[in-house]
Amino acid sequence: MTLVIGFLIGCVFGAILFLGGASSYRRIIGTLLLKDMWIMKLMMTAMGVGTLGIYLLDLGNLANLSIKPAYIWGVAIGGAIFGIGWALSGYCPGTCVVGSSEGKTDAIFTLVGALVGAFIFFLAYPALEATVLAPANLGSISLVSVLGIKGIWIAIPFSALLLFLAFFVLKDRYE
Amino acid sequence: MKDGIISWKVAGVALGLLLIVATYLVKPLGVSTQFVVSDAAIAHKVNPEFAENNAYLKKYGEKEDWGVGYGWMLVFGMLVGGGITARIFASKQPEADKGSMPALWKEQFGPSRLKRNLACFGGGVLLLFGARLAGGCTSGHMISGISQMAISSFIFGAVTFAVAIMTAKFLYRNRGI
Repeated sequence: MTLVIGFLIGCVFGAILFLGGASSYRRIIGTLLLKDMWIMKLMMTAMGVGTLGIYLLDLGNLANLSIKPAYIWGVAIGGAIFGIGWALSGYCPGTCVVGSSEGKTDAIFTLVGALVGAFIFFLAYPALEATVLAPANLGSISLVSVLGIKGIWIAIPFSALLLFLAFFVLKDRYE
Repeated sequence: MKDGIISWKVAGVALGLLLIVATYLVKPLGVSTQFVVSDAAIAHKVNPEFAENNAYLKKYGEKEDWGVGYGWMLVFGMLVGGGITARIFASKQPEADKGSMPALWKEQFGPSRLKRNLACFGGGVLLLFGARLAGGCTSGHMISGISQMAISSFIFGAVTFAVAIMTAKFLYRNRGI
């Protein structure tokens, strides 16, 4: 049953990314050049809605939270490497799957590169584990656990901030 | 640019609602781990000895982890759902979003498909190496992680956007933008 749920959620996820133009190079690069804020606004809206919903679920202990551990060096260096790959290809791991489904060959090359990148990570893992992954690991902390108050009280203002930024602050600017 | 099949508002709200449903039913959305799962499945078939002995693959070495699970079906669903929607709405997709050679790239780096595809391959390698080092990608770390207000995801989001913006500005530096 879980497999079917996963498949259906994935179908909707793929459809939203395609329909919302997230697999489009001009949209991604437009956002990264800070000219066409479409993708940024899309993501902030999703996070604004998501934050509120997740912490409403959490009030009734219905949210299956999955907080990733904050091992600062690995997250920061990994994020930097990821950022270069993102700007170079114009895809991220999810949108290259959707782009491939559209038949875009540049997305397929990104997808194959990503499989190779994961493989290179396996080979490098033993060397990385002790140097960047293990040190400075603060564990699975969130704003909620750091501030020590009920999640919803942070979720409401945070969600409002994200939606306010997306709907009223971020503006497109062109040449 | 206002053109799109659906607006960023509709797509953003829909994605937020999907994340809530996924978090309620199973767990938040994530994609990049499935590249590891796919590689691990191949490795266990092609060279079981290597797969068993690799410190990282060993984590995904148990049958229930590297086989087709919830997460893998989710990514497979993206391929199917994206593919079907792309065919249904093909005529509605803005011209600028179509094809494998983005106009912006062509203007800047020329019409060579080899160049575009090699850049994408290299970009893909960096994407997954970085995502595995950081423990997630745009979906798991940013959309799902920031929605849970995870500290690691705030770090990932800030660094990723900062470096991606600098890289894009560098690639298009002669455009005065």
